[in-house]
Amino acid sequence: MKPAWAVRLRRDKWLYILLLPGLLYFIVFKYLPMWGVAIAFQNFQPFVGFWNSEWVGFEHFRVFFSNPDFTRLLRNTFLLAVYDLVFFFPAPIIVALLLNELRIAIFKRLVQTMVYVPHFISMVIVASMTYVFLTPQGGVLYELIAQLTGAKINFLSDPDWFRPMIILQIMWKETGWGTIIFLAALASVDVEQYEAAIVDGASRLQRLWHVTLPAISHVIVILLILRLGNFLDNGFEQIFLMTNSLNRSVADVFDTYVYFVGITQGAFSYSTAIGLFKSVVGIVLIYGSNWLAKRFGQEGLY
Amino acid sequence: MTKDRVWKLSGKLLLAAVMMMSVLLAACSGGNANGDKPAASKPQSTADSGGADDGNAETLPPLKLDIMVPAFNTELPDRSSPVIQALEQYTNTEIHMQFVPNSSYGDKMNITLASGRLPHIMVVDRNSASYINAARTGAFWELGPYLKDYPNLSQANPIILNNSSVDGKTFGIYRGRTLGRMGVTINREWMANVGMSEPKTIDEFYALLKAFKENDPDRNNKDDTYGMVVSKYAGPWDIMQIWFGVPNKWGEDGSGKLIPAHMTPEYKEALKFFKKLYDEGLVNEDFAVMDPAVWLDPIVNGQAGVMVDVADAARRIDNKMQEKEARDTPYVDVFQAPVGPKGHRDMPTSGYANVLAVSKSAVKTEDDLKRVLTFLDQLGDVEMQMLLGYGIEGRHYEMVDGYIKPLTTPEDKALVKEMESLNQMLTFIGPATPTLEMTEINAKIAEVQLANEEIVVSNPAEPLISEVYAQMGQQLDNIIADARIQYIVGQIDDKGLDDAIALWRSSGGDKYIDEINTLYAAIP
Amino acid sequence: MVSKHRTVGERLFDGFNYIALAAFALVAALPFVYMIAGSFATEAELTERDFFLIPRDWSIAAYQYIFSSDTIFRSIGVSVFITVAGTLTNLAFTLTMAYSLSRKDLMGRRLFMNMIIFSMLFSGGMIPGYLVVKELGLIDSYAAVILPGAISAFNLIIIRNFFQQLPPGLEESARIDGCTELGVLWRIVLPLSKPVIATFGLFYAVGHWNNFFSALLYLNDHKKWPLQVMLREIVMLSQLAVGDLSNMDPNFVTPPDQAVKMAVIVVGTVPILCVYPFLQKHFAKGVLLGSIKG
Repeated sequence: MKPAWAVRLRRDKWLYILLLPGLLYFIVFKYLPMWGVAIAFQNFQPFVGFWNSEWVGFEHFRVFFSNPDFTRLLRNTFLLAVYDLVFFFPAPIIVALLLNELRIAIFKRLVQTMVYVPHFISMVIVASMTYVFLTPQGGVLYELIAQLTGAKINFLSDPDWFRPMIILQIMWKETGWGTIIFLAALASVDVEQYEAAIVDGASRLQRLWHVTLPAISHVIVILLILRLGNFLDNGFEQIFLMTNSLNRSVADVFDTYVYFVGITQGAFSYSTAIGLFKSVVGIVLIYGSNWLAKRFGQEGLY
Repeated sequence: MTKDRVWKLSGKLLLAAVMMMSVLLAACSGGNANGDKPAASKPQSTADSGGADDGNAETLPPLKLDIMVPAFNTELPDRSSPVIQALEQYTNTEIHMQFVPNSSYGDKMNITLASGRLPHIMVVDRNSASYINAARTGAFWELGPYLKDYPNLSQANPIILNNSSVDGKTFGIYRGRTLGRMGVTINREWMANVGMSEPKTIDEFYALLKAFKENDPDRNNKDDTYGMVVSKYAGPWDIMQIWFGVPNKWGEDGSGKLIPAHMTPEYKEALKFFKKLYDEGLVNEDFAVMDPAVWLDPIVNGQAGVMVDVADAARRIDNKMQEKEARDTPYVDVFQAPVGPKGHRDMPTSGYANVLAVSKSAVKTEDDLKRVLTFLDQLGDVEMQMLLGYGIEGRHYEMVDGYIKPLTTPEDKALVKEMESLNQMLTFIGPATPTLEMTEINAKIAEVQLANEEIVVSNPAEPLISEVYAQMGQQLDNIIADARIQYIVGQIDDKGLDDAIALWRSSGGDKYIDEINTLYAAIP
Repeated sequence: MVSKHRTVGERLFDGFNYIALAAFALVAALPFVYMIAGSFATEAELTERDFFLIPRDWSIAAYQYIFSSDTIFRSIGVSVFITVAGTLTNLAFTLTMAYSLSRKDLMGRRLFMNMIIFSMLFSGGMIPGYLVVKELGLIDSYAAVILPGAISAFNLIIIRNFFQQLPPGLEESARIDGCTELGVLWRIVLPLSKPVIATFGLFYAVGHWNNFFSALLYLNDHKKWPLQVMLREIVMLSQLAVGDLSNMDPNFVTPPDQAVKMAVIVVGTVPILCVYPFLQKHFAKGVLLGSIKG
């Protein structure tokens, strides 16, 4: 009598064959190198290698958590992450929904193509352009805002404006690109449901609420959960470029700290340790939010 | 579905898979890294052929060399380049260049160190922790004892050798650079218009900046100019504070001990001056956030008139202004630093830019090492400096009255490409070569840089390698650098400055001072 | 299809919508227009004017310079090859795995999913990854740039979820007809997933096109460098402060012209920008029309 698992294996033979290439990929390119995580517990030096580098246990974590700047770094990282989630995350959704309402096809296609261009512009260029627009020494936007509101806001150096500036940069750069996936989801919404709703006399807003949103809700939830996995990641390059002596108190985040301490000084282990810390937080958030999502009747990750 | 169709379908899939595989295989056959080839040449029977004896080299097969250098352009030479071929002929080598874009050199270096398979010769940043560690654990040959055997290398400057050493041992030949590189670039016409000449003291410097702001130096009846332009890059402040008597990073406090620059009384004097410049509008208001990429623009556009940086900045500024509107005489002039309260002082460079290290993984025996050193030594010969620096005579340049006259412009890509970034392997340890024809600006720059050698203030702690700094150096530096900027713009006051210094001390600064002094005392 | 009645409120909303989206589109696209304009401008004008849409003095010198040697053509060719081969590889690996994981009764599904999520967050880092590629003998080959990124866990999860959303009735009827899983995937599921394939094909393609880091790491031969490596180097060289002491180079190094920088950016961006408009037709509504009902 064959065991149950063998029966299932045989039955799903083709499924496993389809699964194989991907599985191999993960094993070879994700799990084989994973020993690198252990570097966090060593004093790893590239030439010396893994087996000969000295082991230091939790030393790096201790140094990291007892660093007098830790609270400030945590606060900056956390706040930026929250702002990003609250302000940036919904933006592509809203724009996608707005685009969906457009009737003139050519206009819609034109707008779609234009809004996603910033995604391709390197952050270095974006930072340079930001300087040009916002510099108190004649920057176009700076002058404009000063004339319209009388307020001379030095976005580039004022710590209070740093986070809004970063978020606005992200929104400019990535919103258009982010709409792509929602537009694809919207395209897959069953047209018949719309028609049924119209027949039932639903207004636009009602159609949005009762047909459109539920239809793309699973995409939104998945993206949200996955986003939480990278919660403590702020865009390193962007922050690095926009940091200067006057706003460092709010600009310093884990990622820039890791760069300065870890990369420039070759302390791989230290940066790996911090990365490990972020990953642990990320995993907790993913599984936590996934569980939460399921409680609300959503599909979740699995 | 009939069995027929199933087979057809599987066939299609199989075909797709095979096609994909072959695409991948084709990609795979791109060839292996140069590092896979056997590195050193066969062992010589002529064992002790010292480097100086070129005659023997004729009988040996060409030495295969993999050389890794940073690249500063995207158009790079391959093995068919006549310059590389000339190099190979002169030195009896077979050269495989591995170019790495300069902006990613650090990452690539670390990866190479981690892979354990290093090229024969590689440019390394002597200050990077991974290099220091690798040197200490035997990745590279210790070259110090061998240098005396080579005509050019034996002339290496002992101070710079010391500066570039690790624990007193030379693991890499330094790439020499101008020591007294700094200079003050000033718009000539503006100077003439406000009736001032070279600022010889700091007071005169201040007066000049003020005149540039207030006396309409560009004669356009508009109040749209200021004195000096500074960007986010804080180099100018570092340079100027030395004028005031602040030591170069570390200085003796009179009792034989070293103290850091920011803890000297002169430091506060310097900062007060900087603040004055900012408060009076003599420096651009947005300097703390200005993109360094556009640092030159205000001078070119006639908004600012002074820049403190390396002296060759003058050439770059002048080129840009000539592009806008060409004329015979240069737009700018360049001068030495003004004299300060503690005398005539200026900031040096460390005299070198990275070192050329010889790896043990590729160069396996001492005989091979000697051949490699011969190669490096030959790079100091006049012929090689000319070849790798300027190209082939008659093809890339010609000699006019003993001066080098380039035959190519940057637009002649094909020709320029033949020698691009090859100069990265030069040590500049050797006899002096002919120079480019001296334009007025170039002559002035050379004059300033030469004169600087008398007045530069060296950093006594330069050769010391600090563990504390490796751990938290950046953080400590940021505290002081940020405080300086914040003080200048008025975000913090004198007390704030003191607080920052206290913070620096308590965050590890005191430990750093102790460590440096211990190391310093240990120097014989 | 949609009711022709529009209330005043709806009309107002529509008007506002068009204006708002147009404004956003302009703000998004104008900087790139500046890039294009700048690439056709003279160096002097670029130094003088901060931002403009139409150059005062036209010049194609930058483009002449870039295209005067075959370096850029070669790197474009490399980029195209990597993008196409890479995207095909990505889709092959990702779609097969996503499909099999979308079958809810697959034994071990939970395990595999956990494995994937875990690998998303915990990674060995740059050096171990490099060593694996080295051991496989792939250094300096294009496979090293394509394979390590063959599957993006993020994309995989979303595609898998999409497959799960498909009405189960579809496959049942196909299976009853004697189709194997391969057949179901190929003949039924994939045709219905056009928006998904288009979307993620685009994501993967853009990822390959924009990727410079893998190429830097794994490709030692400078003749194999894709366009983005060139582009990044040029942009970074322009960023070097004149006397930046970390750029301790003698008089030989001058930063590239601004116009050249912009021209390279334009050349490096326009090709990939053109891909999306071609795919837009796959995002048309009603792709699920005709799904089997009962």
